[in-house]
Amino acid sequence: MRNRTKSIRVIPALLAALALTLLAACGNVGGSGESGGGGDGGGPTITIGSKNFTEQYILGELYAQALEANGFTVERKLDLGSEQIADKALQNGQIDMYPEYTGTALVATLDYEGNPADLKTPEETYQKAKELYAQRDPADTMLTPAPFNNSYGIFVRSDVAEERDLVTLADLAEASPDLTFVSYSEFQNRSDGYKNMQRNYPAFDFGEIRIVNQLGLRYQGLQGGEGDVGVGFTTDGQLASDELVVMEDPKGIWPFYYPAPVVRTEVLEQNPEMRDVLNEVSASLDVDTMRELNGQVDLEQEDPEDVAAEHLENEGIVE
Amino acid sequence: MPRVSKGVALALLQEISLEEPRLVEWDWLAENFWEDIFPAIQGHMYLSFVSVAIALAISLPVGVLAARYRKIYPPVTFVTGILYSIPSLALFSILISVPGIVIGPTPVIIALVAYSLLILIRNVVAGIDSVPAETIDAARGMGLTNRQILFGVELPLALPVIVAGIRIATVTIIGIATIGAYISGGGLGKLIFDGINRNFPTMIIAGAILATALAIIADLLLLALERYLRPWARRRRA
Amino acid sequence: MVGQILEVIGRPGFTRLLLTHVELSALALIIAIVIAIPVALAVRKTQAGAAVAINVGNIGRAVPSLALLALALPFFGFGFTSALLALAALAVPPILINASTALREVNPGVIDAARGMGLSGSQVLARIQLPIAAPVIFAGIRTSAVQVVASATLATFIGGGGLGDLIVEGFQRGDTAILLAGALSVAVLSIITEVGFAGIERALTPKGLKIAQKRRS
Repeated sequence: MRNRTKSIRVIPALLAALALTLLAACGNVGGSGESGGGGDGGGPTITIGSKNFTEQYILGELYAQALEANGFTVERKLDLGSEQIADKALQNGQIDMYPEYTGTALVATLDYEGNPADLKTPEETYQKAKELYAQRDPADTMLTPAPFNNSYGIFVRSDVAEERDLVTLADLAEASPDLTFVSYSEFQNRSDGYKNMQRNYPAFDFGEIRIVNQLGLRYQGLQGGEGDVGVGFTTDGQLASDELVVMEDPKGIWPFYYPAPVVRTEVLEQNPEMRDVLNEVSASLDVDTMRELNGQVDLEQEDPEDVAAEHLENEGIVE
Repeated sequence: MPRVSKGVALALLQEISLEEPRLVEWDWLAENFWEDIFPAIQGHMYLSFVSVAIALAISLPVGVLAARYRKIYPPVTFVTGILYSIPSLALFSILISVPGIVIGPTPVIIALVAYSLLILIRNVVAGIDSVPAETIDAARGMGLTNRQILFGVELPLALPVIVAGIRIATVTIIGIATIGAYISGGGLGKLIFDGINRNFPTMIIAGAILATALAIIADLLLLALERYLRPWARRRRA
Repeated sequence: MVGQILEVIGRPGFTRLLLTHVELSALALIIAIVIAIPVALAVRKTQAGAAVAINVGNIGRAVPSLALLALALPFFGFGFTSALLALAALAVPPILINASTALREVNPGVIDAARGMGLSGSQVLARIQLPIAAPVIFAGIRTSAVQVVASATLATFIGGGGLGDLIVEGFQRGDTAILLAGALSVAVLSIITEVGFAGIERALTPKGLKIAQKRRS
């Protein structure tokens, strides 16, 4: 009898403990993404999202901090996985904007029926994406892109490139049967990935292809000697190093991937000042700067928010 | 002609090497504790506790019903078993593509609840089954109603087995919740994934060790509760 | 949709992913058995030793799979081997717990009787304890196997390959067919593992025990 009574008393005690812990944890409902830092301009609140790789964290922070310096309150959701998640969050109003690449928008989120690689200039690519974004419901506005292309970069270890005199993708294709390529499954299977390389430079036929899905790991793999060639992105911080060289692409086989803030049109109409602020930030970036910023996070382990803050200060966008 | 920033100039002076980063940067941990680490712990506890609570709220009544009306037990086991065999990564990804789903903890919680139903319902049924028929007869003989028997006799006696199920479910949930960060659900997995994406071992190690600690602590606490509730086991040790 | 999923499975790369997944799981399980069983044998003679093994196993069971895989990254780098080590570590606890428990729980009366008949220590072990403990040990191996197959999905995050690659790819591209192809493959693989090992477990149960089990139920 005694034990039963104890057991009965345990139940409410357990429930009480559970309730208390829940209340404590409730302080951080959502948990995904840091809430807006010092943004207390008392102005309107903008929620900025970003995908979950370094360049996106940095771009998100750059736009966020610039807006904060101009009287906005900013909430950050800077880890929205892939464009699928980010776009979904944009469409259902959970975020007001996020940085997207013109080519990616056409390939992955908008209903573009053509082949984005056929658009021969960055401007054309941007206009197409902008047009399709505006036609959505609810409509989005893709602002002026930053002046750099974050495209696929096929990089080779410098010693290998020197040895075999590799400068362009055509050169690499010829040498490929003797080389190991460190790639990732999406790249191997997307029509605009490895298949695109083979279509345009049919000699591509790597001796071995190793699949490594994490971007940073592919660079480490090359450095560790587990591969000769890798695929990353042209703005990766690691590419600022002498140990790697990016193959040139005279045929321009890939779409242009210029990043631009994609903002819900109604938010932009309510806050037209955003346009100039965001455009100023975009204009301050170029390939070398982006590589440098990416490198500070990936290679020097600095935090994206600090890297962004320093850049904005250097550019005079934020005091 | 773009202006050369201070950072770029510095980079030109130092050579950027591709060497591996240091394992644990204690300064980073100290600096970023409140900003990054504490919210991750909180988020993880939120995910875990809410999921266990909801799963329990579903499993107790369903388990009691299944114990009473045996015919529904096999189909219930079948459905929850299927949910359990879907790889967590896939279930998370599938839930995200549901139209109208809110990005955040919600899809993670839905999946976590789905995973723990099998073990919880199974243990509720097993617990109730373990109550000797004579005890129930005696209670009935004393004039207790069915409701009084359920809450006053069956459930309390079934409690050790039920808590055993809660223990397994909780540890499983804490573990799988780490993967939830992949779909922006928050929690300690965020430190792990961000660390992998940013090539930053300190974050990976912090997230992994904290998640492990959380799971082990929950396991030990619930184990203690389980032992406390088993009077015959206690008596044997004394 | 079904057609699209089959298309994905028909891809040349799919077989490689499937084989890697199976390889990772099988090797991890074998390594875990090679570690756990000798340890269980070593501690079977003392109450304290077995208790330590069981407690370590219980704690080990609580470790989240992703955490262990992620920890392998900074220490062992990325790739198959790293994932293998982590998965092997994950596979040890269920086997260790079951083996330690089973070897201790053989009825002392039975062991006395055997000793009385003149059997030596190792003969008792081989002819009596192991056959009786075998089904329980095997149940532990089965639990471990199913767990490893599921956890191997996460190897994709540290470059270990396997069917997780497919799930991640499908998700990143917003392509449900690829996603489902990966998910269903893993689900089918774990069901096959569960059923297969259950069959072997039944085969391993000595006839005497089977009769006793039947009589009890």
